[in-house]
Amino acid sequence: MQAGLFLQTLITGLSIGGIYALMAVGYSLVFSVLNFSNFAHGAVIMLGAYAGLALATRLSLGFGLVLAGSIAAAGIIAVLNERLAYSSLRKRKAPSLYLMISAMGCAVFLENLVYATIGSRFYAFPEFFGRQVINLGSSSISLLDVAAFLFALAAILALHLFISRTRTGIAIRAGVSDMTMCSLMGVDLDRLIAIVFLLAGGFAGVAGVFLGIKYLVYPTMGWVTNKAYIAAVIGGLGSLPGALAGGLILGVVETFVSTYVSSVIRDVFSFTLLILFLVLRPNGLLGQDSEEKV
Amino acid sequence: MKKIVAVLGVLLVLTLAGSAMAADVVKIGHTVSLTGGASMWGQSEARALDMLVKKINEGGGVLGKQIEIVRYDNRNDAVESVNVARRLVSDKVVAVIGPAQSGNSIATAPVLEKAKIPMVVTTATNPYVTIDQKTDKVRPFAFRPCFIDPFQGTVAARFAITDLGAKKGAILYDVGSDYGQWLARYFEEAFIDKGGEIVAKEAFRTDELDYRAQLGKMKDLAPDVIFIPTSQKEAAMAAKQARDLGIKATLLGTDNWGSPDLIELGGSAIDGGYFVNLTDLADPDIQDFVAEYKAEFGEEPVLPNPVMAQDALIMIVDAIKRAESTDGTKMAEALSTTKDLTVTSGVVTIDPSNHNPLDKPAVIQQVDVPGKTFKFVKKYVSVE
Repeated sequence: MQAGLFLQTLITGLSIGGIYALMAVGYSLVFSVLNFSNFAHGAVIMLGAYAGLALATRLSLGFGLVLAGSIAAAGIIAVLNERLAYSSLRKRKAPSLYLMISAMGCAVFLENLVYATIGSRFYAFPEFFGRQVINLGSSSISLLDVAAFLFALAAILALHLFISRTRTGIAIRAGVSDMTMCSLMGVDLDRLIAIVFLLAGGFAGVAGVFLGIKYLVYPTMGWVTNKAYIAAVIGGLGSLPGALAGGLILGVVETFVSTYVSSVIRDVFSFTLLILFLVLRPNGLLGQDSEEKV
Repeated sequence: MKKIVAVLGVLLVLTLAGSAMAADVVKIGHTVSLTGGASMWGQSEARALDMLVKKINEGGGVLGKQIEIVRYDNRNDAVESVNVARRLVSDKVVAVIGPAQSGNSIATAPVLEKAKIPMVVTTATNPYVTIDQKTDKVRPFAFRPCFIDPFQGTVAARFAITDLGAKKGAILYDVGSDYGQWLARYFEEAFIDKGGEIVAKEAFRTDELDYRAQLGKMKDLAPDVIFIPTSQKEAAMAAKQARDLGIKATLLGTDNWGSPDLIELGGSAIDGGYFVNLTDLADPDIQDFVAEYKAEFGEEPVLPNPVMAQDALIMIVDAIKRAESTDGTKMAEALSTTKDLTVTSGVVTIDPSNHNPLDKPAVIQQVDVPGKTFKFVKKYVSVE
């Protein structure tokens, strides 16, 4: 009986952690290149969810097309966000604090834009996967959670391969080490940064659709990304394997705290963890040196 | 000079005539959400009230005067509700109907109390609408025709035990909401009192999305029912997550579930769940009202607000008749001794010690997702 509860807690924790990791990747990608925390990422996730919702309910598309459409929409929004709100700051070599403030402004702006145009009501995705449950002994998990978890792992692995194996990936890694040098070597920085935001936005689209299906779609849903941010810090901001590890660790630890200690102090615990990491190990678990970022 | 005197004379006559005409009407204020998230109910409430006012006026009005409704939109906002209350005071209304929400009602009450104008709220169920939380004394000018949360929690517990045959109950509630916290407590007390056992009482924080850790704990304890006193959003998410964990317990909720989008948000997971509500379209007592409303407006009323607003007006009219006056203090005294008054939803008697109705009925509804409706299950008049 106790073993059953332990296994169920672990499974639930991993499934929550998978979503955290998916969102943390977006933070880490942008941080690795531009060295600031892009707090507008949550708003892009929210817009991705609305885009997916529109495709699913207005055009009655299937899950695959909804996901693809949401990835495309959120990717474009992320690139536009960078062009409109960050690029001029970046070109004037503004301190990263300014970029972060601009990002916060974008988050609030986008959220209120949705309030003003779409409204504050809640929406739910159609039930793509039905309510199918997989049983492992006395523990259960929904098919959706398994699919989301596997997809998150696959997407993060694919991104890792892209960055370590392709020409563009090499350029991104070069940009991470030294942006100025990289540009002197003939790399088009604007294009490079647009690609980084496109990738981060794509991940936001995936996260938005999974969050929307799992929970609900509404204007402030992006705030759940503060957990993803904690995950990124634990793993080491700027590190992709770190984002994955941080997300899974946070998801599992939180669920165990909720189950075995108290669900009410769960967030106290998460934020204490964030502060401890920032004070004692600001580079996180896997983000020791800048070479190892991304 | 003569001209001026003549003009003044005409003005004087007009003013006197005007005030004489004004004296022929009884102005009753109505503070209601005509826009915003609760407008669906507010619009329907306004229609039902106008329908009843017309009927009363055709029957001779009250104290030989016609009733006039002075209506303002409070946009389901506490600050705007206070502004509306001030405007109603300066409009010299004799009584106020509304607001519908506990928070807006608690904000409105002190303004009207200062002006000695009685208010009868429609669907605000929090105990502190009629009781001042600071002094713990009854607010002399605040009344309601709807049940309050302790009763609602007790009805839910009793239904779970006697009708669902539940022995083991679990509670999932929002620790950041007064509504949820108090209802969780009332349900727990009543459930234990009726011989049941609460195997788990788990809380989450407002705005949290994932309750699987809490529900996972409940799963091993195999409750027969899970009581979820939240709004439709949390109920929908909790239902989905409970079913994902393979929990088969019956889900039980409160009147905040009663929003039409519960069915869309919860999907198949919420199907078959039960919740307590103030009224139901199939309630035998309100069939005349529903038929009349449909005939007038060509659609069904959005319950429960239209029914509760009519109850409020009937209580006010009855109080004016018994007090034989539209003086606020006299009306408030009469309202507090309302007894066996036939209203749209049934019969109401006000408890003078807390200005809440005694034995106010509650209905149990069941969520029918394929039919996209809430089915009437039964009606409780008392829990004794």
